[in-house]
Amino acid sequence: MYDLLSDFETVTPEAWIANENTWREKLLKLQDWFQIPLLNCNASHNLQNCTLVRFRGMVQDMHNPEFYFEHFEIFNTATNEVKMKSGKYRDTANILENEKINYSQNLKSAQRQTIVVVSIPGLNDWAQQLEDKQNHLRRLEQQPNTSSRLNPVSSTKLKRNYHETNEDTDSMDVVDTETCSKERKTCENTDNTSNGVSREHLLNFPLPDVSSKSCIIKIYEENDNLKLNDLIEVVGFLSVDPVLSGEFQPEKDSLLDPQLENELETITHNPPPSLVPRLHAVYVKKLDHCNPLIMDKFDQASVLKEANVAREHLLKALTELLLGDQLAAEYLICHLIASIYLRQDTMSLGQFCLNLSNLPTEKYPNYAKQLYDIIRQFVTKSYYLPLTIDNMNTLALLPKKDYECNRLTSGVLQLSKNTHLVLDETKMEQGTLDATGVNNIAALGNMIQNQKVEYDFKYYKMNFDSDISVLILSEGKSLLPSDYHVPLRPEDSSLEIFDAIVEAATYYLKEEIMNVIRTYLTSIKLVKYTISDDLQFVEDDFIEMRSKSDNQNPVTADDLHRLLVLARLVSLSRGHDTLNKECWEITKNMEAERLHRLKNRMSANKF
Amino acid sequence: MAMRDYAADKESFKNFFVDFCQTDDEGNKCFKYASQLTRVAHREQIAFVVELDDLHEANEELAEAVKQNTRRYTNMVSDVVYEMLPDYKHREVTAKDALDVYIEHRIMLEARNHRIPGEMRDPRNRYPPELIRRFEVYFKDMSSSKSVPIREVKAEHIGKLVTVRGIVTRCTDVKPLLVVATYSCSACGAETYQPVRALQFTPPPACSADECRINKAAGQLHLQTRGSRFQKFQELKIQEHSDQVPVGHIPRQLSVYCRGETTRRAQPGDHVAVTGVFLPLLNAGFKQVVQGLLSDTYLEAHVVTCLNQSDESEMADALTEEELAELAEEDLYTRMACSLAPEIYGHEDVKKALLLLLVGGVDKRPNGMKIRGNINICLMGDPGVAKSQLLNYIDRLAPRSQYTTGRGSSGVGLTAAVLKDPFTGEMMLEGGALVLADQGVCCIDEFDKMAESDRTAIHEVMEQQTISIAKAGIMTCLNARVSILAAANPAYGRYNPKRTIEQNIQLPAALLSRFDLLWLIQDKPNRDKDLELAKHIAYVHQHCSQPPSSVRALPMRLVRRYVALTRRKQPVVPRALSDYIVSSYVELRREARNARDVTFTSARNLLAILRLSTALARLRLSDVVEKEDVSEAIRLVEMSKQSLTHVEDNTQRGISATDRIFAVIRDLAGSNNTVKIADVIERCVDKGFKPDQVDACIEQYENLNVWQVNQVRTKITFM
Repeated sequence: MYDLLSDFETVTPEAWIANENTWREKLLKLQDWFQIPLLNCNASHNLQNCTLVRFRGMVQDMHNPEFYFEHFEIFNTATNEVKMKSGKYRDTANILENEKINYSQNLKSAQRQTIVVVSIPGLNDWAQQLEDKQNHLRRLEQQPNTSSRLNPVSSTKLKRNYHETNEDTDSMDVVDTETCSKERKTCENTDNTSNGVSREHLLNFPLPDVSSKSCIIKIYEENDNLKLNDLIEVVGFLSVDPVLSGEFQPEKDSLLDPQLENELETITHNPPPSLVPRLHAVYVKKLDHCNPLIMDKFDQASVLKEANVAREHLLKALTELLLGDQLAAEYLICHLIASIYLRQDTMSLGQFCLNLSNLPTEKYPNYAKQLYDIIRQFVTKSYYLPLTIDNMNTLALLPKKDYECNRLTSGVLQLSKNTHLVLDETKMEQGTLDATGVNNIAALGNMIQNQKVEYDFKYYKMNFDSDISVLILSEGKSLLPSDYHVPLRPEDSSLEIFDAIVEAATYYLKEEIMNVIRTYLTSIKLVKYTISDDLQFVEDDFIEMRSKSDNQNPVTADDLHRLLVLARLVSLSRGHDTLNKECWEITKNMEAERLHRLKNRMSANKF
Repeated sequence: MAMRDYAADKESFKNFFVDFCQTDDEGNKCFKYASQLTRVAHREQIAFVVELDDLHEANEELAEAVKQNTRRYTNMVSDVVYEMLPDYKHREVTAKDALDVYIEHRIMLEARNHRIPGEMRDPRNRYPPELIRRFEVYFKDMSSSKSVPIREVKAEHIGKLVTVRGIVTRCTDVKPLLVVATYSCSACGAETYQPVRALQFTPPPACSADECRINKAAGQLHLQTRGSRFQKFQELKIQEHSDQVPVGHIPRQLSVYCRGETTRRAQPGDHVAVTGVFLPLLNAGFKQVVQGLLSDTYLEAHVVTCLNQSDESEMADALTEEELAELAEEDLYTRMACSLAPEIYGHEDVKKALLLLLVGGVDKRPNGMKIRGNINICLMGDPGVAKSQLLNYIDRLAPRSQYTTGRGSSGVGLTAAVLKDPFTGEMMLEGGALVLADQGVCCIDEFDKMAESDRTAIHEVMEQQTISIAKAGIMTCLNARVSILAAANPAYGRYNPKRTIEQNIQLPAALLSRFDLLWLIQDKPNRDKDLELAKHIAYVHQHCSQPPSSVRALPMRLVRRYVALTRRKQPVVPRALSDYIVSSYVELRREARNARDVTFTSARNLLAILRLSTALARLRLSDVVEKEDVSEAIRLVEMSKQSLTHVEDNTQRGISATDRIFAVIRDLAGSNNTVKIADVIERCVDKGFKPDQVDACIEQYENLNVWQVNQVRTKITFM
């Protein structure tokens, strides 16, 4: 086991190429990948060029494929030696000063794909911390002896400037052996603002004001399966040679050389590797989730068995937080475990946009934020967006292709699957929306209704499927559409002592309980759910509802869709992987009560 | 792979250019390449285009070789043409510019310097060929070869001729690119030439002329702009069309280098097809240091053509065998109708009407008067009956369409606006949705909430199919040959059947009558239908797919292409049918007079029936309208009326279908005692009854002895 590991620490691109299949098998056999340093949690300057590392993130952009030299010849002018080299898994030719590349013959080009991966947007602090803990501990223990063990290897094999990086690494290690995770945020601040391109511009993260990492990944195997906004984990060779930065490009002779690529594009596509490392992938894995608590094989039976316990905890906490409103808490649980399970032409099933209205904002102006602060303790990925006029008018929600820089400029709605977006409408005030604002609102509405985000490619627009659960917190009914609207009905007694409730809840939700809930929320989404063929009771109920419907309470096909989606979530949340009569009854009652509330509310508003 | 015999290829090219001829319509032989050569020789033409179609005809193998190794053959053809040019030069050519004079002088100078007997030397040999040639050789890809998606242009295409399609996202200014640099030596005065093949070049360090070399003078070289040869150069970036991009991927781009005659062919936003050679580009200078292991790639353009519309070419492709087989299955009409928005359950007749809207009727221009062929449809209905979804689907399906709401989002609105250009101060017209959708479909949601100004303009659009503008000194008439598909919500939330349509929709009758069909989509509880609906939905949730229905939905692309195909037909109404149409119309009018009519039956209905029947004939790809088309058209009109009138009476106050059929037959008979059964069935089918219901009715009343039916069952005689 340990031997295997040390192999991975010392493997070089050349060694890998020589025996690609064996290495791959070895990698797949490796029990826990923690031992391969994860770039997300370790600063890239602590790692050496051309060593195997991991990166985890979301595919943010895809560039044009690159043509690289799979084999090329180098000619040593001093010794007149001719050698063959490979450009696979490398950015630089890695040649000595008196060696020359033979560009005229014996070249073999091949194609590799370039994608930009950013760290998972909206990943919550608890998950991040856990990840850091899992991936970081070992590094700190082993850092000194790794480098000492590596040093002789590199001195014989690697180029001169690698020594420099090595020394660099060592010296830094002395300074910050403990504060690695902090320095993750503070380092790299130095090398920005040159050429008028900011760090944010280069990192291109969907969410504003969140620290992030990004990475340029080169993929050698043709993989059409990889889509935009997918979560992936990449194992590959790190490449951080500083000459890769486009900023160092000297002035071109403008008379003789027609400016083909503009400068901005060059800089954007070649950011300083200290900021955006390059990774030459040897293995790419798609991730279903990014919950660090769930690591072992997914076991449906045990998940379902444990579901009820977790649900009880969650229901208790949420009921209290929603001021004693159990119905709203039930809906919120369903919302938290919802995900899209069918997509066909214009229809998508499983979306669960919940609108909680009637929040006690007069008494607690920050109620929505406080609620979010608890929710984000449960879910792995979430983002809180206050719908202020200012936000709407200034934020870029939709990703847009920037032809100047030739890349996809990210927007807030470029989120990976199963991210929870919480829209706080209580923060909205009166004011005027400008054109951007109107577009942003329309984009949100479109995303909620169809779960599609329209990316702007200037000459045409393209719809990308999204799977973002939206929770709208508002005072009255939201101006955005929603699938389920639940007016909150706070109990007076709870209303008085809300602050105490929050405190009690934080006390009640100890780490173990939290972890149970976190595991539950993620794993229940992975359960395979089936509906038996016998749905007589559903059909009968629908016919009955239809016969009772009138102009005031129309019952349409959409209502049945909604009921079935809710029934699915009700069953799942209770640990059933199929629809039974009991859950159907519960569902019907929930909907009936919700509609009753809505009606009361409407009539109350009238008078 | 055996090396090709290039010398032989050269010879075959020569023969090809001399011999190739085509016979045009009048039977004249036309030597295509010989005449091109003549024009090139007289400096009347710069581009020398070799069509691979022609070459393929003459020498199949050579054409293939050219496609595989285009760059080499480009140079070869260039040599061949240069050698052949003097033979085609019939008269003295006047020098057109300084370079021509230069070339002439150089050739003369060379000839004079080397007039040593015995030295059989072509005087032009010393100059780089690029300096003296004033023509450019381009290959045109075979018309049969398919365009390669940008995504699929890969390493294996390097050096080959490929055709790609895309949208231009960026193009640089046209700049001069050095092709041959001419230097003169400061010491000996000799000229040195340096052909430049890449985008960068390194000037030679010292003069290499004989004189300098012998004297070891190492004279300095100065670049001579006037003696050098430059070429127009432009770089384009093209990007994949949205329909070529796999789901969830980012569109890819490709650089295209255009030189000489291929520059200035396209602008950003244009849809283009580019034929060119896919080549690697070695980085030099800094980039070589940094990315020594990378090579950029580009497409060296040979032909750049702008496509008018992104999809037209796709539409033009003939349907494949499989597609034809798929279409040939029974009852295309119903199947295609069901393929529209398959996820919306039911509403067969509405979908049929929408299909006809896509196909459209035939435009007619008798004596300068214009009668539109486009079909306008208005969908009304209570909120939440999938009106908007239907509109959305049609918007996606139609090759050219605009989707807007009545409260158009921008100032331009539906029609057009006059705007002042901020830079030049000129007035310009900006088209609204109706203008942009010219020759397509304009889907207008919330039609009832339209702005007053648009409402007046839409009258004109819907009948005359133009928009007249008289604003800010601009007076013009824009074409707006659109089919309008409108969706409207009833005023006061729900459709009230006791009121007229105008009262319900709050739109003037003049506007409503311009719609060929008005549908009221209602959602009434009905046990059987509800059960089916519930089963349908439950199935979707159970199996995560649409239930297999009796009619399989056609893929959207196929429907789109078939509709494009049908639009080429121009069916006519044969004279024989006119009587039938006239009598049906008279019948409609008579009924409208008698019954309490909430709709308007006017001459426009007659036109609507004609439009619908021509559309139906188109759908059959027929050139003649048949009786069935007319009766189906009348049925649709009748059904659309019924959707409005029979709102409240599901059972029609206890009157059964049989009774209604009886009433129809009685009316038909009038004062006569006998009626033909064929007529009866025809009339009843028009009214939406099924033939077996008619048979049942006839039998029932025969048993009651109300009438008698003759032996062969063709006539009914009232007792």
